[in-house]
Amino acid sequence: MVTTMPEAPSHQPDAPASSSPAPEKDPESIAIENLDFAYGDHRVLHGIDLDIAPRSVTALIGPSGCGKTTLLRCINRMNDLIDGARITRGAIRLGGMDINTPEVDVVDLRRRVGMVFQKSNPFPKSIYDNIAYGLRVAGVTKRGAINEAVEKSLRAAALWDETKDRLEKSALSLSGGQQQRLCIARALAVQPHVILMDEPCSALDPIATARIEELIQQLKRDYTIVIVTHNMQQAGRCSDQTAFFYLGRLIEYATTAKIFSNPSQRQTEDYITGRFG
Amino acid sequence: MEPAKHILGTFDEALRALRNSVLMMSGLSEQNLTNAMQGVLRRDDELCALAIADDEEVDQLEKQIDRDGVELLLRYQPVASDLRRVVSTIKLNSNLERIADQAVSIGRRGRKLNRHPALAEAQLLEPMQQLAMSMFRESVDAYVREDVELARGLKGRDKVLDEMNSNVGRELTEKMARDPEQLRGYLNLMFIARCLERVGDHATNIAEDAVYAAAAEDIRHQPHVASEPERNAGA
Repeated sequence: MVTTMPEAPSHQPDAPASSSPAPEKDPESIAIENLDFAYGDHRVLHGIDLDIAPRSVTALIGPSGCGKTTLLRCINRMNDLIDGARITRGAIRLGGMDINTPEVDVVDLRRRVGMVFQKSNPFPKSIYDNIAYGLRVAGVTKRGAINEAVEKSLRAAALWDETKDRLEKSALSLSGGQQQRLCIARALAVQPHVILMDEPCSALDPIATARIEELIQQLKRDYTIVIVTHNMQQAGRCSDQTAFFYLGRLIEYATTAKIFSNPSQRQTEDYITGRFG
Repeated sequence: MEPAKHILGTFDEALRALRNSVLMMSGLSEQNLTNAMQGVLRRDDELCALAIADDEEVDQLEKQIDRDGVELLLRYQPVASDLRRVVSTIKLNSNLERIADQAVSIGRRGRKLNRHPALAEAQLLEPMQQLAMSMFRESVDAYVREDVELARGLKGRDKVLDEMNSNVGRELTEKMARDPEQLRGYLNLMFIARCLERVGDHATNIAEDAVYAAAAEDIRHQPHVASEPERNAGA
């Protein structure tokens, strides 16, 4: 049960690019406070403090193993599914609410915080059923409401024109890029506040990648988007803020323009310019 | 501190090659300017002609550096300090080419002057030449060494050069009024003074780009604020 929420996050990147200032207790705001995370005895995140601006795109970048995907998966508690994985200190607040308290319904949390993975993972069902699935699980039974939500989600994911005449066809018949957009549509159907994207374009060709990136720009008007990417150009093109991680620590968090033109930290500079290692 | 090497060695190589080409161009432009001014002051037509002829090499190098810079942007898509270095190098390239163009203009004016008896007033140009040349050298030096303080200081010196140009212009105008027969010669000297003043402007542009490359700061179109040493020197 979502209860009264505390104030909006105070620690923000140098100059947040979000066009509108975050109102207090914005349901789309994410505040990560002094977060430590461990797999068993192995601590992988160290004291992460990060305020993610609502309705903007935040890119998490850093070398493999730096903890960015782990952090992303903390935001909708996907790590709960891994034995021994746990937050050992700190909190993550979504719209002011600590998402790791017992009263939080994890299923409801994952509805509000959708996730898109590196490899598209549509259900082996029709295009229509892929979108309708989450709604049915949420108890929506009226055909008209489901039809409306399917169309709205597919339109929002820029997939409606390509699929409206074959909604009953298997989702697996779609191209890789279309499948990825279908997964985004599936997440949108249940009206999330936040969409997490874990390298969503790494398996796509440049055209499909451009479509997803264009989609991200449209979605950020309504959703908070956090994207993990190894593609520096993609982070530069898509995101408003960028956070650079190294060895489980947040090294620098600033507007993307600042990070890619004049980062404050030497480690950030070395990483984005390809001098690491 | 010297930046670490890129993982991609070819990127370092491309950056190094671009920088070396610019340094070569800087050397050529400086030589052309020196030849042109010596041609005027020593009344040496050959030096004037050399400054004009050698501009062709600078022009070719300018095109080469632009091509290399664009290719580097295309292939490696540099960011942060790498991006700033490439962008400022391309801009520096353009300023160097214009400095060489000033040398051509001076060389042409010099040849015209050399057809007539020497004018003692040509010596008025010497202090301007010294200041313009030193600004030019130091601006390139600031770029190469990423010396932000040296670069910042050049803005103030450009004001001095502007003032020298105004004074020379005033003095030559007075001479024209007194001795209209030498009007053409004095006009040529005024044009040369104007060219040297433009060299100072280009050196200032280079210095501004050097600050951008080294410190990510855009100091163009800002009034010059005297540094502590400058204030002390003025006191």
